[in-house]
Formats: sequence, C-alpha cells, structure tokens
Amino acid sequence: MATLQMATRAHPRLGSYASRAVVVGFTLATAAIHTSLGGMMFLANAVGYTTLALAMVAPGPIGQIRWLVRLALMGFTAMTIGGWLLFGARFPLAYLDKAIEVALIAVLAFELWRTDGGPIGVARKAQRLLGRLAGLRTARTPR
Amino acid sequence: MRFRGAASLLLTGSLLLGCNASTGSAAPPPSAPVGGAVITAQNTAFDRGQLAVPAGRPFQLLFENREGAPHNVTIYDDGGKTLFVGETFGGPGSRTYEVPAIPAGTHKFRCDVHPQMSGIVTAG
Repeated sequence: MATLQMATRAHPRLGSYASRAVVVGFTLATAAIHTSLGGMMFLANAVGYTTLALAMVAPGPIGQIRWLVRLALMGFTAMTIGGWLLFGARFPLAYLDKAIEVALIAVLAFELWRTDGGPIGVARKAQRLLGRLAGLRTARTPR
Repeated sequence: MRFRGAASLLLTGSLLLGCNASTGSAAPPPSAPVGGAVITAQNTAFDRGQLAVPAGRPFQLLFENREGAPHNVTIYDDGGKTLFVGETFGGPGSRTYEVPAIPAGTHKFRCDVHPQMSGIVTAG
C-alpha cells in the first residue's frame, strides 16, 4: 500500500495503472482459486470475479462508470468473505483466498479514495448518475 | 481490437489457472481398512451415499480424493453437532482418518467445502 501511495505521488497516471493492475491481478487470482474448488457455486463466483476484472479494464462507457465497477467489486468481495465466514470450510487455500480478498478490498478502498474522491465523491457520482437516469426516463415517458 | 485481445487473454488465463486437475479415472475403489470404512470423491460427488461404521469404538476411514478440487469428510449427529472433522485436501491423494468412537445410530456425513456432497453414516 505504501509503495502504491509513493508511486501515485511520483507519477499520478502510473500509480493509477499500477493500482488497477493490482486490483485486476487479485481479482483474477481469487477467480482462479474459486474455479479450482469445483462445483457450480464456486464457478458462478469465479465468473462474477472475472466479469468484474474485465469491467475494471474495459474502455468506453464502462470506463465512465469505473467508480461503480469498483463499488460492485468491493461489495461482491465483501459478500464472498461474509458467505465464507458464515458457511465456508476452513482449510489453507480458503485462508489464502480470504487474505487476497481482504487485500483486494483494501486496494479498492484506496482507489476509491484517490480516484473517486472517497465516499462523498462516490455519493456525488451516484447522485449524478441517478439524475441522468431519471432524466432519461422522463424524456422517454409519453406526454 | 487490442482491448478485445487483452480481455480474452484475461478470461482464458483465469479459467486455465483455475482448472481442476480432475483425473477422470475409473479406477476401482480402494479397499476399506480392517473394521473401518472407505469413501471416494470424484466429479464433486462421493461414490456412495451410505457409510457403515462400527459404533462405540475408534475406527479408520480411508478417504480417497480423485480430483484437484479440495474435499474432506465430516461427520455430524442429527442435532448438527460435529463428531469428526477430516482434513481438507486437494487430490489426487488419500488420507486415512482416525475417527474417534461415535455413538450407535444414524448420523450424517458431508464435505465441508461442498455441502451438497453428503450422505448417511450408520454406526452399529
């Protein structure tokens, strides 16, 4: 984390790429671990992680709502950890996976803070997005 | 175009990294330890839904995991109380669990990683 902060201060753009690469790496690592566990539930989880990893690097319209992707990935990871705490088996690979997921949430929180302006910035972006969506709905409603 | 290539590389890499080392072999089940029981896991399923074990004395349970996915065998009583937890490990490989004495009657067994892999233990 300290390395990321230093990289960000020195080269803002480089820091952004580095932290996003770390996010994608952790996400794909946990997707791979879940795939290796076998069974539909774990496979579905791996597909979710892989989709979100792709959304983290996708350009175009998804790039404009990257903050939402980060938020979704944080939520998905937190839910996965919660599910494991409630029902999951305790064995070495599971502990390794949870360590990766906790680190993933930490890097995402760092990105959210640095890139999206923290909770207040995210709230503003969400408000703007909702406003835009409401505007679209209003425009489509026949009068 | 470059993005599409990178995206497919990411997806393929993730799925390949996570591929099970499923052996898919149809080898005969291993023989049970004397006075004990044997069970095999393959394709995220146990080879049997019922286990007959001795009651009131310790016994050996030979568990063979024939695929890369991690599995174990845990025995619960009807109230959900854990009677025995076997080590979770990825295969192919086997472990001989030393199971402590369990009371006579019917109990449940399952894999803790994949709770849908379950069955009945009859101790008698």
